[in-house]
Amino acid sequence: MPSPAELAWLIPVLPLAGACLVGLGLISFNRTINRLRKPVALLLISCVGAAAVLSYAVLAQQLAGAGATEVLFNWASAGTFTLEMGFRVDALGAVMLALVTTIALLVMVYSDGYMAHDKGYVRFFTYLALFSSSMLGLVISPNLLEIYVFWELVGMCSYLLVGFWYDRDGAANAAQKAFVVNRVGDFGLLLGILGLFWATGSFGFEEIGSRLQEAIASGSVSTAVAVLLCLLVFMGPMAKSAQFPLHVWLPDAMEGPTPISALIHAATMVAAGVFLVARLQPVYVPFPQVQLFIAVIGTITLVLGASIALTQMDLKKGLAYSTVSQLGYMMLAMGCGAPVAGMFHLVTHAFFKAMLFLGSGSVIHAMEDVVGHEPVLAQDMRLMGGLRRWMPVTSTTFFIGCLAISGIPPLAGFWSKDEILGQAFGSFPLLWAAGFLTAGMTAFYMFRLYFLTFEGSFRGNDTALQAQLLAAAGKGGEEHGEGHGHSHAEHPHESGWQMAMPLAVLAVPSVLVGLLGVPWNSRFGFLLDPHEAAEVAEHFSWGEFLPLAGASVTISLVGITVAVLAYALRRLDLGAAVAGRFPAVNAFLANKWYLDDINDKLFVQGSRKLARSVLEVDSKVVDGVVNLTGLVTLGSGEGLKYFETGRAQFYALIVFGGVIALVVLFGALG
Amino acid sequence: MPLDFAVSLATATAQASGTAFPWLSASILFPIAAALCIPFVPDKGEGKQVRWFALGVALTTFLLTVGGYLNGYDPSNPNLQLVEKVSWLPDLGLAWSVGADGISMPLILLTSFITALAVLAAWPVSFKPRLFYFLLLAMDGGQIAVFAVQDMLLFFLAWELELLPVYLLLAIWGGKKRQYAATKFILYTAGSSLFILLAGLAMAFYGGHTSFDYTDLMAKGFSVKFQLLAYAGLLIAFGVKLPIVPLHTWLPDAHGEATAPVHMLLAGILLKMGGYALLRFNCQILPDAHAVFAPLLVVLGVVNIIYAALTSFAQRNLKRKIAYSSISHMGFVLIGIGSFSALGSSGAMLQMISHGLIGASLFFLVGATYDRTHTLQLDEMGGVGQKMRKMFALWTVCSLASLALPGMSGFVSELMVFVGFATDEAYTLPFRVVITGLAAIGVILTPIYLLSMLREIFYGKEKAELVAHTHLVDAEPREIYIIGCLLVPIIGIGLYPRLMTDTYRASMEQLVGLDSRAVQALNAPTGSAALIRQAPLRAPGLG
Repeated sequence: MPSPAELAWLIPVLPLAGACLVGLGLISFNRTINRLRKPVALLLISCVGAAAVLSYAVLAQQLAGAGATEVLFNWASAGTFTLEMGFRVDALGAVMLALVTTIALLVMVYSDGYMAHDKGYVRFFTYLALFSSSMLGLVISPNLLEIYVFWELVGMCSYLLVGFWYDRDGAANAAQKAFVVNRVGDFGLLLGILGLFWATGSFGFEEIGSRLQEAIASGSVSTAVAVLLCLLVFMGPMAKSAQFPLHVWLPDAMEGPTPISALIHAATMVAAGVFLVARLQPVYVPFPQVQLFIAVIGTITLVLGASIALTQMDLKKGLAYSTVSQLGYMMLAMGCGAPVAGMFHLVTHAFFKAMLFLGSGSVIHAMEDVVGHEPVLAQDMRLMGGLRRWMPVTSTTFFIGCLAISGIPPLAGFWSKDEILGQAFGSFPLLWAAGFLTAGMTAFYMFRLYFLTFEGSFRGNDTALQAQLLAAAGKGGEEHGEGHGHSHAEHPHESGWQMAMPLAVLAVPSVLVGLLGVPWNSRFGFLLDPHEAAEVAEHFSWGEFLPLAGASVTISLVGITVAVLAYALRRLDLGAAVAGRFPAVNAFLANKWYLDDINDKLFVQGSRKLARSVLEVDSKVVDGVVNLTGLVTLGSGEGLKYFETGRAQFYALIVFGGVIALVVLFGALG
Repeated sequence: MPLDFAVSLATATAQASGTAFPWLSASILFPIAAALCIPFVPDKGEGKQVRWFALGVALTTFLLTVGGYLNGYDPSNPNLQLVEKVSWLPDLGLAWSVGADGISMPLILLTSFITALAVLAAWPVSFKPRLFYFLLLAMDGGQIAVFAVQDMLLFFLAWELELLPVYLLLAIWGGKKRQYAATKFILYTAGSSLFILLAGLAMAFYGGHTSFDYTDLMAKGFSVKFQLLAYAGLLIAFGVKLPIVPLHTWLPDAHGEATAPVHMLLAGILLKMGGYALLRFNCQILPDAHAVFAPLLVVLGVVNIIYAALTSFAQRNLKRKIAYSSISHMGFVLIGIGSFSALGSSGAMLQMISHGLIGASLFFLVGATYDRTHTLQLDEMGGVGQKMRKMFALWTVCSLASLALPGMSGFVSELMVFVGFATDEAYTLPFRVVITGLAAIGVILTPIYLLSMLREIFYGKEKAELVAHTHLVDAEPREIYIIGCLLVPIIGIGLYPRLMTDTYRASMEQLVGLDSRAVQALNAPTGSAALIRQAPLRAPGLG
């Protein structure tokens, strides 16, 4: 009986097999397969479920202290080069396997409810399984090359899923933007991988790290070049994990169905960048410049995300910017040389952010009953309010999620975020200050979301406001189709069990998983890095822990209090207080730091203009010369006739002349 | 030097000449002979019977090439195999001499495979069907001959012979500007053929005895100056075919006017003739000149990638867009050929095969889409995905293959070129950095133009005008089958590249060894050349 680690290759292959089967069915027997909704969903859920069982077996084995398993085969070779592929199971990979399969499984169950009325139900499940497979392949990749392969594949799945509702212009643009921005990051990643391979002759993580140091010591690679290569590789994680300035795709990606936002754009794929940086620790750690760069980028990102989230009126966009901010925290941890803390935040964040997104999906689903299938209306918090009365499960879990992300002990977010801040305090006090203040903003904007959505009175039936919002989105004139036909409900309802159950399940780890990483006895730390965890536990002192923890809890409470005053008790009109007095700040935040505009002007328009002028050159100059030559040679119709009828003779003549010329030339050259 | 290589080749030839069945001659002559029988096939005039005949012939040809591969070809042997040699016109020194090594064999298989699918793609052709299928089958034989013949004169004949069908296929079945496109094509290609003939004759008459045989040519030991001259001429000739910017302007016109099956052949096979000939003549017969010219190939490759990608992005005509994307992809072939590493050259070869498959699939889809929308202007399309969902899915898969998504063949070949070139010790580090960096820009540009193309055709709201005036039916089984057939090797190679690379690996390594020795024989570069090439530190390409 082979051990779970040896069977780990099955974990990505099972969902892939399911997805391929259904995909082939869809293309060959479209109608039949589209009608088999439940059987298909059941098949794909069981594939992912089996992968989950296997993942937990692998994790259990790792918890029991099994070492890393690596299996490689020769994938491509030429000369003495061989490119190897295979899989690698270690503690880091096992944690990610368990995490990804768990959330994928819950999101699939949830999707059964959320997508129940969508005509693309089967296609949606196929994409989900395909994504799960790619993501699982990514986490068990043994080398950079294979990481790159799956990196691209998860990007493709994201492209397909963001553009899932392809009749919507917004979705189509967002999908393309996501792919292209990610390709910009991959450009750096590819060059970095190539460069590291040139410098070290290897794609393996540890090998690159050690050989790079040897190469620097022997003088064959200069430190500057090595740093440059590290930064190039880091461009990949910057794009995938939505770090400034390549974060612009993530908020737009919310055009995809909400379960996707939860699975791909909050819990798993966007965390792949953080995961890769964790994998690359052996390469990065010897370079303090690189570490500093990563930490600074992380800090800019966390401030940027949180500041923009302050003014968002779209529930999903608010959560999206919050994700950007939280990813910044994880990156900050990586830059502080604390990969365990970063990974721990990745895990806790995955649980509570997936729950928050699924909760927002539940809200949107409920709102659609009232305002129709128009994302501009169904996701806008100005039309929500008071939903707690009708949606007890959703509101309770959302509330737990808000507490968790705000860092209130003993919920998950507290432990992980506090560990990151503690590390930052030791490494870069200035960056710690930014992270610390942002923790307050986080608590504020999350509770702002909560109060606007679930408390107060319901505003969904305000048709004047609806028309106003539609007009603002440029959709005022047209009828919004599907939802218009049947009569709307008066107020929203709680979602069915398929959607409520995953929320409830996710609430458990959101509360408890943080206890696995308490600083005086971090079970998580012992799994990933026993040596460091033992050291941390040994040096742990309440005297150091309490002041820092107390400070971050305090600032969170301040944030929550402001939110309560402003949005629950209505004692404070922030709109008038801030927007009125500092219109520039408000405009800066509402326009998302103007980054989208800069991108559009500089890169989108710029590349279009460049491409158009190259085409001009091609058709006018290059082809012009050709046509001119043709014209001169042929002269008139006479010439053409000569050419066609006398071709053979013409040839012979030229050939003869040419040979003589060549022979003469030869004689001259010797 | 080439001499010992030629000797080993000659012995191998002698040993292999006992092959029982003439697989290669059969694959060349059978489709041509069968094509000549087409006038006698009973048909009511709409091509309903002729097409079955043509399909049968194309499939048989495919089976013949596969038979040759399975029965007489050993992938681990780097030398010429399946050799047949019959003296034809001894006075002219002309012999019927065919054979296949790793450089020919995959392309021969590709040719017969794509042609069979092209015949299936030509199913709806009803205008002069006899002539149409006749030309397709004649091209099949002619193109296999280009890859299989081992005699310069025969090569020239085959190269020219294949022009005529393409000219007619363009001029008779093409679009509105077909005359212009066909004339441009024939002038361009005929003009470039002169260089082949010139160089070929010069090479044949060089030295003491006259011979057109590749093996003899290799053994002649041309002086470096002669090699440089011949190389330059051949580069122009093959550069038109591949094409290399700025010799490319025939291609968008020809591709823009061709019908789908012709399109598949143009993109799938015709362009590969240029790449094949570069490998066969410029790299194998003129290795010393190749050592000098290779940096130029690399630079031209990068120009191809970026220039054509940008042009493609600005194109509003669907066919021309894809045509330019072909040019862009051929840039990787040039870089691979210009690298002196086994991995890079192997990648160039794989890129030819991969683009043959992906290009054929995309061009087929263009044709299928045009049949429905009756327009190629992207401005007039939009939201088509709602009525044609399967077509949408096929387009998406093929576009993703074209933008080198991992798991498909394009990714592997581009990766091999990248890694091969980046680790190629024959070039200086700054040169490699600049070239690799620029080529990687293609990684960003390709998805931009391909995805915006998908966006404009399929996504968004349906264009009311288009829906009102056209009948948008979804993909039929025949179309899905054709794309499916092309996707099997595309994905197969993507998942496990050795399926393909192992068939030509031995020959390619031998070729790279030859060129690497030529590089090492060069004097250490001085002046501005030292910025590009460096004195070899160790055996390049093998380390």
